[in-house]
Amino acid sequence: MGDAILKVTDLKKHFIQGKGLMSFMQRQTIPAVDGVSFDVNTHETLGLVGESGCGKTTTGKLILKLSQPSSGNIVYDGIDIVPMSNREFRPMRSKIQMIFQDLDAALNPKMRIGQILGETIKIHNKHLDDSAVTARMYELLEMVNLKKNKLSNFPSELSGGEKRRVGIARTLSVNPKFIVADEPTSALDVSIQAQVINLMVDLQKQLGLSYLFITHDLRLMELVSHRVAVMYLGRIVEIGDAKKVAQHPRHPYTEILWSSLHVKQSAAALKVQQHNAKAGAAWDVFDFTEEDKGCRFAPRCPVFAEKGQPQACTQQSPTLQDCASGHKVACHFPL
Amino acid sequence: MNNSPLLKIEELRTYFYSRTKQAFIRSVDGVDLEVNKGDTLGIVGESGSGKSVSMLSIMGLIAARPGIITGQVWYQQEQARINLLAGLQDHVQVSKNDGRIMSVEKTDLAWQRRLEKNMLGIRGKEIAMIFQNPKSAMNPFFTIGHQIVENITRHTQYKSRKEAKERALYWLERVKIDSPQLRFYNYPYGLSGGMCQRAMIATALSSEAKLLIADEPTTGLDATIQARIADLLEELRAQTGVTIVLISHDMGVIGRLSNKIAVMYGGRVMESGPAQAVIDHADGKSHPYTEALLKSIPREDNMSSQGHLNSIDGEVLDTINVPRGCRFASRCQRINKSIEKMCLNEEPPLATVSDGHKIRCWHFAGV
Repeated sequence: MGDAILKVTDLKKHFIQGKGLMSFMQRQTIPAVDGVSFDVNTHETLGLVGESGCGKTTTGKLILKLSQPSSGNIVYDGIDIVPMSNREFRPMRSKIQMIFQDLDAALNPKMRIGQILGETIKIHNKHLDDSAVTARMYELLEMVNLKKNKLSNFPSELSGGEKRRVGIARTLSVNPKFIVADEPTSALDVSIQAQVINLMVDLQKQLGLSYLFITHDLRLMELVSHRVAVMYLGRIVEIGDAKKVAQHPRHPYTEILWSSLHVKQSAAALKVQQHNAKAGAAWDVFDFTEEDKGCRFAPRCPVFAEKGQPQACTQQSPTLQDCASGHKVACHFPL
Repeated sequence: MNNSPLLKIEELRTYFYSRTKQAFIRSVDGVDLEVNKGDTLGIVGESGSGKSVSMLSIMGLIAARPGIITGQVWYQQEQARINLLAGLQDHVQVSKNDGRIMSVEKTDLAWQRRLEKNMLGIRGKEIAMIFQNPKSAMNPFFTIGHQIVENITRHTQYKSRKEAKERALYWLERVKIDSPQLRFYNYPYGLSGGMCQRAMIATALSSEAKLLIADEPTTGLDATIQARIADLLEELRAQTGVTIVLISHDMGVIGRLSNKIAVMYGGRVMESGPAQAVIDHADGKSHPYTEALLKSIPREDNMSSQGHLNSIDGEVLDTINVPRGCRFASRCQRINKSIEKMCLNEEPPLATVSDGHKIRCWHFAGV
């Protein structure tokens, strides 16, 4: 495998939430991303999975500096981008790009496809004349298998798959090396999803791209990514080779996540359900107001319940430990 | 107990008009379906195939013009069998050319009045619906408790507020919302996606409907929550015996919950039958579209050697320019010289291939 194109260490983003009129009196911080570290190698796809609200998208946005991290380092190609000002970062923007989740919001509804693509091409290459821009647009359309006559259409006239292709073409127009793909197929049908995924895999081979692939679709993740990082409430709980994580998960959360795919829920997941039914634990909400120590997954964890609620889980926050050649897991009692 | 199906849809057509294209969008173009009592019918298809629109038509919830044009929806009540679209054809004038509907004249007001009259006591009471997006389907100005109580007092024998509240709490508990006493007073925005979906299901069930239409109940939810909602629906069906029509584009969810499956494409039912026959090909026969759909599910055995997923080439049928022949012909893999002419020029009939299993394809039309 190549060198790391992106190195993220101890990345944190704490949002400050104020409640009501007197919010400045009592502020509450929400640690959306809380000490995330990972590497992405060149030509590699790193999958980032987790439930909604676990901080996947925020992590993606931080890497693009669409929002400023609270602390931590993001080293892209040997340069730390966190302390950079926006002006300094601007030339780097063409290297790191993002495929947005909701293309209805990301494509300007009042611009034609040609204008949308042309604008991005011109911004990063000011010297190009119109014919060169058009040539480049045709090249891009060919790359993403779109017909040329779509250039005069408005985004609302395109189907979901076509819009997604326009989004990818726009991203590629600046020759990026690293792409953050935020749920690129979430709103698409299975048949169209397959087309888009195939396109992304092909482009990776042709152009030597590296992806950070954010999704909550586990099946897709397992097939597309080389490595997978599983996030839970702002922290990475397990990271490693995609096949290994999928087939031999070491963290109880990963195990539950993957087992929820199968027709019959696994024994572990059933156990949690029974445990929760007994304890009346809330599945959906995690209370950040309480002092945060120990494992964040403990209230939902079957192992925690089984072992009679050991002190280690409630008192000490687990760190990512290497358990087998690059497969890291943050759990006191890995499976 | 008589054997006639609980719901029988015949030749349902729902069109919309695109002003920019000056043409009809034939969203639902002659759909025939049957749902038996106690069954779970899964309707699959890509977006734009008309699954949601056909079910919204049954509920009489299509507001856009021209809307429902033709068709009958037979609903079996305890004594009588009634047509939900009865008398509506009097207010619609259709002119056809070459078997195709070219223009529609509709006296909207009279049509709408008649529909509302038909729907009275049916919509919400007999047929309830779980909508696609629970957050926008619930009224943001009222607590979920208020909305469930409203439904109960309107449709069931629990008329007093106190009784209705007790009943609402019962249903909230049934759908496994934790601490229902507290959640009763929550507004929809105060609930998470999964929780809101549960509240939506509770609202739908609270009228004790015989038929529950679930429109994509698990899309937009996380994998763990999806599994939970699917389990919940399964459990409720087993306990209350409610008949469910489940709309989804996720073959996984459909395969797991339903015992009958209908596959839709371009406003038409392409294949229908028992789940084993449609998904596992128990009788060795399948529609090329269903096969392609099943193959494009991201799974280990669906990957090609170059790390590609199987996809269906081309785009979903645009229902404005419906082809003369088979609607799937342009994307079909199984089209060959011997039947090509038929595929491109004439639409195949829905042929029965084995017990209850019907396929709309010239391969099985007995030619």
